[in-house]
Amino acid sequence: MFKTTNPGNVPVWVNTDNCKACDICVSVCPSGVLGMRYEPTSTLGAMISINHPESCIGCNECELTCPDFAIYVADKADYKFAKLTDEAKARQAAIIANKYMSLDQAGVK
Amino acid sequence: MAFNYDQYLRVDKMPTLWCWGCGDGVILKSVIRAIDKMGWDMDKVCVVSGIGCSGRFSSYINCNTVHTTHGRTIAYATGIKLTRPDAHVIVVAGDGDGLAIGGNHTIHGCRRNIDLNFILINNFIYGLTNSQISPTTPQGMWCVSAQNGNIDPTFDACKLAIGAGASFVARETMLDPKKLEKVLVKGFSHRGFSFFDIMSNCHINLGRKNKMLSAMENLEWIDSITTPLKKWEALSPEDQMNKFPTGVLREVEQAEYCDMYEMVIASAQGKRGKITQDDFAKKI
Repeated sequence: MFKTTNPGNVPVWVNTDNCKACDICVSVCPSGVLGMRYEPTSTLGAMISINHPESCIGCNECELTCPDFAIYVADKADYKFAKLTDEAKARQAAIIANKYMSLDQAGVK
Repeated sequence: MAFNYDQYLRVDKMPTLWCWGCGDGVILKSVIRAIDKMGWDMDKVCVVSGIGCSGRFSSYINCNTVHTTHGRTIAYATGIKLTRPDAHVIVVAGDGDGLAIGGNHTIHGCRRNIDLNFILINNFIYGLTNSQISPTTPQGMWCVSAQNGNIDPTFDACKLAIGAGASFVARETMLDPKKLEKVLVKGFSHRGFSFFDIMSNCHINLGRKNKMLSAMENLEWIDSITTPLKKWEALSPEDQMNKFPTGVLREVEQAEYCDMYEMVIASAQGKRGKITQDDFAKKI
């Protein structure tokens, strides 16, 4: 079953049973919320992690482009999302330069 | 509460068998959201799919489904639509399925203008059988069956559909799922043959020798070869050759095949005389 209900006042949550670590959600996020972490049990050796939920702007891009029904974003009525900041944009650019890995996982991939 | 896909899916079949980052999953989600927007009863929806990665479509969506033989999707779907004209039939085929082995059926489905929704998932390669050239593979790309580079010219599926007489023809990419959903809703509400050429990625088999190893690299390449229709029309003829226009390319009202078939039924039951040329607006 999919975990479509909010697990407790968070802007974005994932179902790690379905995630195949394809990096698409990380690359479409405008504000550097997501990143990959090292996960030896996963097929590709990586798994999605939510590092900065406080910067999520609720654009829904990750949910729309996820091919595997693994990531979900809260409704705008249920959660108050942040505004897009320059700091968040710079973090996103750094994550893409880091091959979609989270910034604390440098040099793993 | 995010959009709930549970009621539209066979949840025991999850996770999907497609590779990581496959566009088929995004298209499946867009189709589900479009069905939800149309408000169709899932008992009245029938999904017909052929062989290939796109053939898995009918395994995941929870409605009446038929997983048919290679390339014969339109033949099966025509039969379903004629026996149950109230059903909403969605046909899903890949580029090899719908244009190579089933190209003949595609042409005649378009020509009859029967009320089917034909979704052609175009990933430029035979993905399931590991990278053989398909009709849409771009010239110069490396494939297993063209190891010195492909020389076959690329097929423009939308031009074929327009030429064959489909009354709704649209091209979209899976890069913008919201736009894709809007186009699908437009086509689903159109009465007549709706042809969607949806460009998708296959970074596993197309990308592995063509410098597109990750899903995002492949999607950036698709982004670079497509452009919206209005911008495309402003381009010079040389540039138009190297870009695919996206959006609704043709939308006209045309006589629909199930409506015309009513005349055959009435004639056979003796409720009316023989069908003559006078019954049609277009004589030749």
